[in-house]
Amino acid sequence: MELIADFLQDASFSAIAAIGFSAISNPPRQAYLYCAIIAAAGHSCRFLLMDIPGLGMHIVPATLLASLLIGVLAVLLSPRGRVPAETFLFPSLLPMIPGIYAYKAFGGLVMCLYSRGEDAFNHYFYLFSYNGLTCFFILLAMAVGATAPIFFMKKISFQATRREPSPER
Amino acid sequence: MTSATICNDAPSITPGHTPALEEMGAFLAEYSSWIFSSGSTCIRLEKNVRRIAAVFGMSVELSIFPRHIHLTVSSDGGRHVFTSIAAILDRPVSFAINASLSRLSWDVADHKVGFSQACAEFRRIIATSGTDKWVVLLLVSLANASFCRLFGGDSVAMAVVFLSTMAGYLVKQMLSEHHVDFRLTVVICSFISSVLAAADGLFGLGSTPALSIGTSVLYLVPGIPYLNSFCDMLDRHYICAFGRLMNALVITACLSVGLCFGMLMMDVGMF
Repeated sequence: MELIADFLQDASFSAIAAIGFSAISNPPRQAYLYCAIIAAAGHSCRFLLMDIPGLGMHIVPATLLASLLIGVLAVLLSPRGRVPAETFLFPSLLPMIPGIYAYKAFGGLVMCLYSRGEDAFNHYFYLFSYNGLTCFFILLAMAVGATAPIFFMKKISFQATRREPSPER
Repeated sequence: MTSATICNDAPSITPGHTPALEEMGAFLAEYSSWIFSSGSTCIRLEKNVRRIAAVFGMSVELSIFPRHIHLTVSSDGGRHVFTSIAAILDRPVSFAINASLSRLSWDVADHKVGFSQACAEFRRIIATSGTDKWVVLLLVSLANASFCRLFGGDSVAMAVVFLSTMAGYLVKQMLSEHHVDFRLTVVICSFISSVLAAADGLFGLGSTPALSIGTSVLYLVPGIPYLNSFCDMLDRHYICAFGRLMNALVITACLSVGLCFGMLMMDVGMF
């Protein structure tokens, strides 16, 4: 029961975050709804992959699979919204951005410079490298997962804005 | 560099008119500059431009650099050639313009509009205004607060992030209106947001103060340049991909500098 409540909460906040961040890039009005749906699906997918008892996937592969889902949904829904798939990608991916890992990696780096003694330096360097590497691989998984479907489904991706589909010229 | 204003003379051209090479070159240069600065990837830009030119029996070759687009239009199997270089506009990303310009290329390809109509439609598209700035301000603040929740922040942290984002984003809008350098804008906004978010820990308001600071600056993350950079890399546009990546890294560095100054000023420990 608690898992379901967490799942719904996760999906709702992802959707709000996606709508808000999509506003920065001035999308067409019809894109907001799709951004919310795709972000909720993507982030909830990662949540389930990581938190379902017995599955407990690591954050990097879970992010890769969730990003792939976001990419596929973005391409498939882009003809319905008549917008390029890229419009949906960034706002939908944003809730998965490893902001806290980046923050901790940055903090570790700064503390390395301020540390006195080898032990303190090693500790902060460990925090910097662990959080930095995790952050880097999450970002890589997000970028690969979300952009690859655009290239796998080129025909849909680049005809999304066409008004009335007709035989390809 | 082309001034690319041929389309202003469009009313004198009949709808079924085949444009001269120079007209097409100037139009495509301006079209490329606008769609690229609106957040298009290189592959989409190339496909759209070639799609438009092909309707009039012309072909296009493009070199896309981080600040310029070098475009050559040719006809009659390469016997007639027109080259133009368009500067990429320094303007905010707009997926509404990106989508409308992509749609325009299909309308031309599907013979729904002629060249003169396409020029007029292009002028109309680039003149459209964006989403209301107060709506964007509210939505971004709500989004960042939701973000804080997703990372595990409590309700106090959400409220602090909401207010610090609102203050930072408001300053960002004001500085953008005054055409202040975007990198400096990011440093200032990141500083303001992190200083305000530090209130959570400083006054012992909530139980997740680190999350407030860490989340408060995330609205400045240059996600679209990062993603477009990766798309360009997959399509082997390495120079453009590298340019976009460098741009995103510089903005991220500016964000970090502002955050660092904010934390130093508020004497907030990292761990």
